[in-house]
Amino acid sequence: MRIVSFVLMIGGLLFALFGMIGLFRFRHFYPRILITSNIDAAGMLLFLIGVALQSPNGAFALKIGVIAVLSLITSPLSSHAILRSARDSGYRMKPGDKL
Amino acid sequence: MIFYMVVLIVIGVFAVADIYKMIVGPTIFDRLLYFNILSAKIVMAMVVFALMTNQGYMLDIAITYTLLSFVSTVLIARFVRTRGMLS
Repeated sequence: MRIVSFVLMIGGLLFALFGMIGLFRFRHFYPRILITSNIDAAGMLLFLIGVALQSPNGAFALKIGVIAVLSLITSPLSSHAILRSARDSGYRMKPGDKL
Repeated sequence: MIFYMVVLIVIGVFAVADIYKMIVGPTIFDRLLYFNILSAKIVMAMVVFALMTNQGYMLDIAITYTLLSFVSTVLIARFVRTRGMLS
């Protein structure tokens, strides 16, 4: 159980690393929000499952489950709010922009 | 225990890189996005700290922090979108 938990936590950190690489590699806002909103939720969910596998008691695991459900609900909503704010403010990609 | 310390250090390095991009980032939407990611990193660090020191109350703070970061992100996004005229 410990080994599975460590593997899941390292997988979550790996997803977070991919998100950070994408954040430094892309030059424009829209590719960046695509990769980070996609990968950050997946990495955080994997990480929370890995932590919950070695929780000392039941209440600990229940609270981690509440955090996981809340982050699953709120992460796409906040990404959508930022994206809608950028689009409605007239921030567009021009044809000559580098990705 | 050493594994948790390494995990905390890695999350800290990500957070420092994120703060650097938040200072550099050209538009306000980039900064809002980096704030969103940074709050996720902080919640991850809180959960690992709660597991490391076996303190359950840190998880309550993590739940509150998740909700607060969501509310503040949506509020700032709406504030920018409506050009300061909320409601």
